[in-house]
Amino acid sequence: MNAVKSIFRNPPLLTFVLVALVWLVAGLTLPGFGAYGHLRYLLELAAVIGIVAAGQTLVILMGGIDLSVGAVITVTAILLPLISPIWDPTGLVGIALALAIATGIGFLNGAGAAYLRVPPIIMTLAMATFLQGLLVVVAGGSAVTVSNPAVILLGQARPFGVPSGVLLWLVVSAVVLALIHRMPIGARFLAIGANPLAARLSGVSLTRNTLILYALSGFFAGLAGILVLGMNRQGYVGIGDPYLLTSIAAVVLGGSSILGGRGTYAGTIPGAILLVTTTALITVVNASPGWRSIMFGTLILALLLISGREARR
Amino acid sequence: MSAVSSSGWLYGAIQRRRNRGLGGLYLVVAAFLILYAVLFPGILSVGGFSKFTQNWFPLALVTMAQALLMLNGGITLAIGPLVSLGAVIAATTMEGVFGVPGGIVAVAFTGLAIGAVIGAIVAHLRLPAIIVTLAGSFIITGVALILLPRPGGFIPDWLSNMLAGHTPVAFLLLVVVLLAWKAFLATPLGLGIYAAGDNPVGAFRSGVPVERAKIVAFALSGLLAALAGLFVAAQTGSGDPVIGTPFTLNSIAAAVLGGVGFLGGKGTMRGAICGSLLLSVMINVMFFLGFPPVAQYIAQGLIIVGAVAVPELLKSWRAKR
Repeated sequence: MNAVKSIFRNPPLLTFVLVALVWLVAGLTLPGFGAYGHLRYLLELAAVIGIVAAGQTLVILMGGIDLSVGAVITVTAILLPLISPIWDPTGLVGIALALAIATGIGFLNGAGAAYLRVPPIIMTLAMATFLQGLLVVVAGGSAVTVSNPAVILLGQARPFGVPSGVLLWLVVSAVVLALIHRMPIGARFLAIGANPLAARLSGVSLTRNTLILYALSGFFAGLAGILVLGMNRQGYVGIGDPYLLTSIAAVVLGGSSILGGRGTYAGTIPGAILLVTTTALITVVNASPGWRSIMFGTLILALLLISGREARR
Repeated sequence: MSAVSSSGWLYGAIQRRRNRGLGGLYLVVAAFLILYAVLFPGILSVGGFSKFTQNWFPLALVTMAQALLMLNGGITLAIGPLVSLGAVIAATTMEGVFGVPGGIVAVAFTGLAIGAVIGAIVAHLRLPAIIVTLAGSFIITGVALILLPRPGGFIPDWLSNMLAGHTPVAFLLLVVVLLAWKAFLATPLGLGIYAAGDNPVGAFRSGVPVERAKIVAFALSGLLAALAGLFVAAQTGSGDPVIGTPFTLNSIAAAVLGGVGFLGGKGTMRGAICGSLLLSVMINVMFFLGFPPVAQYIAQGLIIVGAVAVPELLKSWRAKR
């Protein structure tokens, strides 16, 4: 009894249990769901959401939100093939450049929020609108095919049968978890999210941490963009759009408060897997786009009722 | 007598204070309108004015729908889908047995009901509004897609001509809506929406039914968004299950341009309306000057950030001196 109670008080664990239950039930009832290949594919898809949501989690923990992650993914996926230099056989220079651009965009978001005092939701929204326009100018609306070897390796290689995207996600998870829970800077993020005024009066620099956080969010979105590009082998306008809402949903399903100050990336990880599984289950049921959309929305609401509730005040 | 004049004086003082932050916005809107009239003198004729206000009307309605919630301390990401659903329901019900009145009632009732349900979930289950409306937007989009999988349906010609013809009916309707809002603000519940947004605990202790105010705010917001959809359907002459998509972000942008804050209780409806007018004029000017849609996106992004940043910078600059 006590064990059940403690699970309900621990959102990350609760979300993990939910994922396990869904996988168990779906694996027993749906033929092919429990196959190793299928589960691996789900994890591969979840890795992209998980990596975007890493940045989103950090920003949300601080009490902000980043609505530009979708646009940043698209920017990276389209620019990377265009800026990868031909003289570089490994393709790493292109990746570094693309990540630098993504981080730069995030940094601009942070600068707008910190120096211009624009609310993050507006700053990142405006940035997304701005990038959307810029992209059509740069790419002209057509899809670009990637030939960068490092990107293709990241998207397609499977060392020891595990997709390299999932390995990348493991690394990102370890780094982000350490950042939040084992380093002073993580404590500062949480402090700002819980009470910005108290944090500032205790000597935490709002400006500096805001800049760092949004730059990190841009960096992770860029990383996810490279992974998506590697998996699809093509970048096109709109490739990143689905990841904006799913990244936020993953954070909230993981039990982090959308108001900041409370939560952990450990919840976002099962949150991302849960979202991908839900989408996969909906695709299995052969329904029209309308019904699929309804089911997705209803399931998010239902999952929220279980794990995403704000504490009563 | 003296009580009346002193309350009149207080009313004037409060209104002056609420207008103060909007002075700059009024100037910018006036400047843009003059620029617009100089560039396109056609706006000064009845037909031109009608067309201009028809482009503005749905944006004004959804901005009110968004501002209403932001004043109450919430936000909604379901505006666009609600507009689409309103358009779809209008286009599918108006050829039914109950005709146009039945269609209008169906649209209004759907908007109110969906809004009330979302509001009840947010208020009673204590889920964050941004996520509930996000999930709601998927459900509403789904319903719209099922009702009308591809653009079509039917809107009677006379209705299209009446709402979106060469008469300023849309502008008159907007005036009516604004007057209704003014009257609603004078009721305890209307004021309660503001109060609950500014200080929920204080409002609760003063006897404001905070949760009911929230549900009413969501319901009215849904009503306004669905009616905007009805108008859009009349404008285009048919229903389209995804026509409302841009309205979600534009409604937030216009409300923020108009000085409505995210934390509730900060801002005014007149500011939000001005914000929507500014956004509408900007989009119109760029469209007529032949800007490609791309440049519109870029300019819109820059202008929104500028409009929010400049007053903030001015404030901190003044504070430093």
